[in-house]
Amino acid sequence: MVDLRVLAAEPVWPAAPALDREWLSRLDAKPEILDAVVDLLLGQGWLAAADRDWLVLCLDEAVVNAMLHGNEGDPTLPIRVCVWADAARWTVMIADQGCGFDPASIPDQENPDALLLEHGRGVRIMASWLDDLTYYRGGAVISMSRRRPTEPSPTASADSAP
Amino acid sequence: MPCDFLFIQAYDNVVLAKVTKERLLDPSSITALGEALTQILDRYPRISLVLDLADVGYMSSAVLGKLIATHKQVKALKGRMCLAGTRPVLLPLFKVTNLDKVFEMYPEAEFAMRQYRSKPL
Repeated sequence: MVDLRVLAAEPVWPAAPALDREWLSRLDAKPEILDAVVDLLLGQGWLAAADRDWLVLCLDEAVVNAMLHGNEGDPTLPIRVCVWADAARWTVMIADQGCGFDPASIPDQENPDALLLEHGRGVRIMASWLDDLTYYRGGAVISMSRRRPTEPSPTASADSAP
Repeated sequence: MPCDFLFIQAYDNVVLAKVTKERLLDPSSITALGEALTQILDRYPRISLVLDLADVGYMSSAVLGKLIATHKQVKALKGRMCLAGTRPVLLPLFKVTNLDKVFEMYPEAEFAMRQYRSKPL
Protein backbone atom coordinates (compact mmCIF):
# COMPACT_ATOMS: atom_id res chain seq x y z
CA MET A 1 0.00 0.00 0.00
CA VAL A 2 1.68 3.19 -1.17
CA ASP A 3 1.19 6.46 0.63
CA LEU A 4 -1.16 8.88 -1.06
CA ARG A 5 0.46 12.22 -1.86
CA VAL A 6 -1.54 15.33 -2.67
CA LEU A 7 0.63 18.19 -3.90
CA ALA A 8 -0.32 21.73 -4.80
CA ALA A 9 2.31 21.77 -7.54
CA GLU A 10 1.68 21.34 -11.24
CA PRO A 11 2.82 18.00 -12.64
CA VAL A 12 5.59 17.71 -15.18
CA TRP A 13 3.97 16.56 -18.41
CA PRO A 14 6.17 14.38 -20.62
CA ALA A 15 7.61 15.78 -23.84
CA ALA A 16 6.72 12.76 -25.95
CA PRO A 17 3.90 10.74 -24.39
CA ALA A 18 2.60 7.58 -25.99
CA LEU A 19 -0.93 8.95 -25.57
CA ASP A 20 -2.06 12.49 -24.86
CA ARG A 21 -5.71 13.12 -25.55
CA GLU A 22 -8.76 14.86 -24.17
CA TRP A 23 -12.23 13.43 -23.77
CA LEU A 24 -15.35 15.28 -22.69
CA SER A 25 -16.78 14.26 -19.33
CA ARG A 26 -19.33 11.86 -20.71
CA LEU A 27 -19.51 8.54 -18.92
CA ASP A 28 -20.38 6.81 -22.17
CA ALA A 29 -16.84 7.67 -23.29
CA LYS A 30 -15.36 5.73 -20.36
CA PRO A 31 -15.09 2.35 -22.15
CA GLU A 32 -13.23 4.02 -25.02
CA ILE A 33 -10.81 5.68 -22.61
CA LEU A 34 -10.17 2.48 -20.69
CA ASP A 35 -9.67 0.50 -23.89
CA ALA A 36 -7.26 3.10 -25.28
CA VAL A 37 -5.04 3.03 -22.21
CA VAL A 38 -5.23 -0.71 -21.54
CA ASP A 39 -4.57 -1.62 -25.16
CA LEU A 40 -1.61 0.75 -25.27
CA LEU A 41 0.02 -0.59 -22.11
CA LEU A 42 -0.57 -4.21 -23.07
CA GLY A 43 0.46 -3.65 -26.67
CA GLN A 44 3.71 -2.02 -25.66
CA GLY A 45 4.44 -4.78 -23.18
CA TRP A 46 4.47 -2.27 -20.35
CA LEU A 47 1.76 -4.13 -18.47
CA ALA A 48 1.63 -7.81 -17.59
CA ALA A 49 -1.49 -9.42 -19.00
CA ALA A 50 -2.29 -10.77 -15.53
CA ASP A 51 -2.52 -7.18 -14.25
CA ARG A 52 -5.11 -6.08 -16.79
CA ASP A 53 -8.05 -6.29 -14.37
CA TRP A 54 -6.29 -4.14 -11.79
CA LEU A 55 -5.48 -1.50 -14.37
CA VAL A 56 -9.09 -1.44 -15.57
CA LEU A 57 -10.25 -0.98 -12.00
CA CYS A 58 -7.79 1.84 -11.23
CA LEU A 59 -8.56 3.63 -14.49
CA ASP A 60 -12.27 3.34 -13.87
CA GLU A 61 -11.92 4.89 -10.42
CA ALA A 62 -9.72 7.71 -11.73
CA VAL A 63 -11.86 8.52 -14.78
CA VAL A 64 -15.13 8.48 -12.83
CA ASN A 65 -13.61 10.70 -10.13
CA ALA A 66 -12.30 13.14 -12.74
CA MET A 67 -15.61 13.34 -14.62
CA LEU A 68 -18.09 13.26 -11.75
CA HIS A 69 -16.19 14.92 -8.92
CA GLY A 70 -13.49 17.02 -10.58
CA ASN A 71 -15.61 18.22 -13.48
CA GLU A 72 -18.83 17.87 -11.47
CA GLY A 73 -20.45 15.87 -14.24
CA ASP A 74 -20.35 18.78 -16.68
CA PRO A 75 -20.28 17.06 -20.10
CA THR A 76 -18.76 20.14 -21.73
CA LEU A 77 -15.60 19.94 -19.62
CA PRO A 78 -12.72 17.76 -20.80
CA ILE A 79 -10.43 15.43 -18.98
CA ARG A 80 -6.89 14.99 -20.26
CA VAL A 81 -5.39 11.51 -20.33
CA CYS A 82 -1.65 11.15 -20.79
CA VAL A 83 0.32 7.88 -20.85
CA TRP A 84 4.04 7.28 -21.05
CA ALA A 85 6.73 4.94 -19.79
CA ASP A 86 10.41 4.93 -19.11
CA ALA A 87 12.61 1.88 -18.79
CA ALA A 88 11.32 1.11 -15.32
CA ARG A 89 7.67 2.10 -15.08
CA TRP A 90 4.59 3.31 -16.87
CA THR A 91 2.57 6.33 -15.82
CA VAL A 92 -1.00 7.37 -16.51
CA MET A 93 -1.92 10.95 -15.67
CA ILE A 94 -5.52 12.19 -15.77
CA ALA A 95 -6.36 15.86 -15.31
CA ASP A 96 -9.76 17.39 -14.70
CA GLN A 97 -10.85 21.03 -14.58
CA GLY A 98 -11.76 21.07 -10.90
CA CYS A 99 -10.16 22.53 -7.79
CA GLY A 100 -8.94 19.26 -6.30
CA PHE A 101 -10.02 17.87 -2.94
CA ASP A 102 -9.14 17.83 0.73
CA PRO A 103 -7.08 14.71 1.49
CA ALA A 104 -8.63 14.68 4.97
CA SER A 105 -11.97 13.91 3.31
CA ILE A 106 -10.76 10.42 2.38
CA PRO A 107 -11.84 8.00 5.12
CA ASP A 108 -9.19 5.94 6.86
CA GLN A 109 -10.30 2.36 6.31
CA GLU A 110 -8.18 1.27 9.28
CA ASN A 111 -10.48 3.33 11.48
CA PRO A 112 -13.38 1.11 12.63
CA ASP A 113 -15.70 4.10 12.56
CA ALA A 114 -15.02 4.51 8.85
CA LEU A 115 -15.41 0.87 7.94
CA LEU A 116 -19.12 1.13 7.19
CA LEU A 117 -19.03 4.40 5.29
CA GLU A 118 -20.47 4.04 1.81
CA HIS A 119 -17.80 6.05 0.00
CA GLY A 120 -14.08 6.73 -0.06
CA ARG A 121 -12.61 3.35 -0.98
CA GLY A 122 -11.46 4.10 -4.52
CA VAL A 123 -8.20 5.76 -3.53
CA ARG A 124 -7.33 2.94 -1.17
CA ILE A 125 -7.99 0.35 -3.87
CA MET A 126 -5.73 2.22 -6.29
CA ALA A 127 -3.01 2.67 -3.66
CA SER A 128 -3.00 -1.05 -2.95
CA TRP A 129 -1.87 -1.93 -6.47
CA LEU A 130 0.05 1.04 -7.79
CA ASP A 131 3.69 1.75 -6.98
CA ASP A 132 3.07 5.47 -6.91
CA LEU A 133 -0.13 7.44 -6.50
CA THR A 134 0.34 11.19 -6.49
CA TYR A 135 -2.19 13.95 -6.96
CA TYR A 136 -1.04 17.29 -8.31
CA ARG A 137 -2.78 20.66 -8.54
CA GLY A 138 -4.41 20.00 -5.17
CA GLY A 139 -6.03 16.81 -6.45
CA ALA A 140 -7.15 17.84 -9.94
CA VAL A 141 -4.46 15.74 -11.61
CA ILE A 142 -3.93 12.10 -10.68
CA SER A 143 -0.67 10.38 -11.54
CA MET A 144 -0.64 6.59 -11.35
CA SER A 145 2.55 4.60 -11.86
CA ARG A 146 3.59 1.01 -11.66
CA ARG A 147 6.75 -0.91 -12.44
CA ARG A 148 6.90 -2.56 -15.83
CA PRO A 149 7.07 -6.34 -15.93
CA THR A 150 10.58 -7.74 -16.13
CA GLU A 151 9.56 -10.11 -18.91
CA PRO A 152 7.60 -8.97 -21.97
CA SER A 153 3.87 -9.53 -21.76
CA PRO A 154 2.63 -12.42 -23.94
CA THR A 155 0.40 -9.94 -25.73
CA ALA A 156 3.28 -7.67 -26.70
CA SER A 157 4.62 -7.88 -30.23
CA ALA A 158 8.28 -7.40 -31.05
CA ASP A 159 7.41 -4.45 -33.30
CA SER A 160 5.64 -2.54 -30.56
CA ALA A 161 8.36 -2.94 -27.96
CA PRO A 162 9.61 0.40 -26.73
CA MET B 1 -33.52 2.78 -14.41
CA PRO B 2 -34.76 -0.77 -13.72
CA CYS B 3 -32.17 -3.33 -12.76
CA ASP B 4 -32.36 -6.03 -15.41
CA PHE B 5 -29.33 -7.94 -14.16
CA LEU B 6 -30.47 -8.92 -10.66
CA PHE B 7 -32.52 -12.10 -10.44
CA ILE B 8 -34.38 -12.98 -7.30
CA GLN B 9 -35.49 -16.33 -5.96
CA ALA B 10 -37.15 -16.46 -2.57
CA TYR B 11 -37.54 -19.45 -0.30
CA ASP B 12 -39.61 -18.16 2.61
CA ASN B 13 -37.41 -15.39 3.99
CA VAL B 14 -34.22 -16.75 2.49
CA VAL B 15 -33.62 -14.78 -0.68
CA LEU B 16 -31.09 -15.54 -3.38
CA ALA B 17 -30.22 -12.45 -5.44
CA LYS B 18 -27.96 -13.21 -8.37
CA VAL B 19 -26.11 -10.47 -10.20
CA THR B 20 -25.78 -11.49 -13.85
CA LYS B 21 -23.65 -8.61 -15.09
CA GLU B 22 -19.91 -9.12 -15.49
CA ARG B 23 -18.84 -5.48 -15.33
CA LEU B 24 -20.26 -3.44 -12.50
CA LEU B 25 -18.53 -0.20 -13.44
CA ASP B 26 -21.25 1.91 -15.01
CA PRO B 27 -22.66 4.43 -12.49
CA SER B 28 -26.24 4.04 -13.76
CA SER B 29 -26.03 0.25 -13.36
CA ILE B 30 -24.60 0.65 -9.87
CA THR B 31 -27.43 3.00 -8.91
CA ALA B 32 -29.96 0.53 -10.32
CA LEU B 33 -28.40 -2.29 -8.33
CA GLY B 34 -28.60 -0.28 -5.12
CA GLU B 35 -32.26 0.55 -5.74
CA ALA B 36 -33.10 -3.06 -6.55
CA LEU B 37 -31.45 -4.28 -3.35
CA THR B 38 -33.43 -1.71 -1.34
CA GLN B 39 -36.64 -2.94 -2.98
CA ILE B 40 -35.83 -6.49 -1.92
CA LEU B 41 -35.49 -5.34 1.68
CA ASP B 42 -38.82 -3.52 1.44
CA ARG B 43 -40.43 -6.79 0.38
CA TYR B 44 -38.61 -9.10 2.80
CA PRO B 45 -37.96 -7.05 5.93
CA ARG B 46 -36.29 -9.67 8.13
CA ILE B 47 -34.33 -11.19 5.35
CA SER B 48 -31.65 -13.81 4.98
CA LEU B 49 -30.02 -12.49 1.82
CA VAL B 50 -27.53 -14.41 -0.28
CA LEU B 51 -26.02 -12.12 -2.90
CA ASP B 52 -24.53 -14.26 -5.65
CA LEU B 53 -21.59 -12.47 -7.31
CA ALA B 54 -20.27 -15.41 -9.30
CA ASP B 55 -20.87 -13.69 -12.64
CA VAL B 56 -19.16 -10.47 -11.61
CA GLY B 57 -15.64 -9.96 -12.91
CA TYR B 58 -15.24 -6.25 -12.31
CA MET B 59 -16.67 -3.98 -9.65
CA SER B 60 -15.76 -0.45 -8.68
CA SER B 61 -15.55 1.05 -5.22
CA ALA B 62 -19.04 2.46 -5.76
CA VAL B 63 -20.40 -1.10 -5.77
CA LEU B 64 -18.71 -1.74 -2.45
CA GLY B 65 -20.58 1.30 -1.16
CA LYS B 66 -23.90 -0.18 -2.29
CA LEU B 67 -23.06 -3.49 -0.63
CA ILE B 68 -22.25 -1.67 2.61
CA ALA B 69 -25.51 0.27 2.41
CA THR B 70 -27.44 -2.96 1.94
CA HIS B 71 -25.53 -4.62 4.77
CA LYS B 72 -26.45 -1.78 7.13
CA GLN B 73 -30.11 -1.91 6.12
CA VAL B 74 -30.23 -5.68 6.61
CA LYS B 75 -28.67 -5.41 10.06
CA ALA B 76 -31.07 -2.62 11.04
CA LEU B 77 -33.95 -4.92 10.11
CA LYS B 78 -32.45 -7.76 12.21
CA GLY B 79 -31.74 -9.78 9.11
CA ARG B 80 -28.55 -11.30 7.79
CA MET B 81 -26.65 -11.12 4.54
CA CYS B 82 -23.76 -12.87 2.87
CA LEU B 83 -21.84 -12.68 -0.38
CA ALA B 84 -21.41 -15.86 -2.40
CA GLY B 85 -19.28 -16.93 -5.32
CA THR B 86 -17.01 -13.90 -5.24
CA ARG B 87 -14.33 -14.50 -7.85
CA PRO B 88 -10.74 -14.71 -6.58
CA VAL B 89 -9.83 -11.68 -8.68
CA LEU B 90 -12.23 -9.57 -6.62
CA LEU B 91 -11.20 -10.79 -3.18
CA PRO B 92 -8.29 -8.30 -2.90
CA LEU B 93 -10.81 -5.45 -3.15
CA PHE B 94 -12.51 -6.68 -0.01
CA LYS B 95 -9.23 -7.31 1.74
CA VAL B 96 -7.59 -3.93 1.08
CA THR B 97 -10.74 -2.12 2.17
CA ASN B 98 -11.10 -4.36 5.24
CA LEU B 99 -14.57 -5.35 4.07
CA ASP B 100 -13.57 -9.00 4.33
CA LYS B 101 -14.09 -8.41 8.05
CA VAL B 102 -17.58 -7.04 7.48
CA PHE B 103 -19.17 -9.46 5.03
CA GLU B 104 -19.89 -13.10 5.62
CA MET B 105 -18.61 -14.79 2.46
CA TYR B 106 -19.26 -18.21 0.97
CA PRO B 107 -17.60 -19.78 -2.04
CA GLU B 108 -20.90 -20.82 -3.62
CA ALA B 109 -24.47 -19.56 -3.44
CA GLU B 110 -25.87 -23.06 -3.14
CA PHE B 111 -23.83 -23.70 -0.02
CA ALA B 112 -24.81 -20.34 1.47
CA MET B 113 -28.49 -21.06 0.81
CA ARG B 114 -28.22 -24.41 2.53
CA GLN B 115 -26.57 -22.78 5.53
CA TYR B 116 -29.25 -20.12 5.86
CA ARG B 117 -32.16 -22.49 5.27
CA SER B 118 -30.85 -24.93 7.84
CA LYS B 119 -30.68 -22.17 10.45
CA PRO B 120 -33.78 -19.97 10.17
CA LEU B 121 -33.72 -16.62 11.92
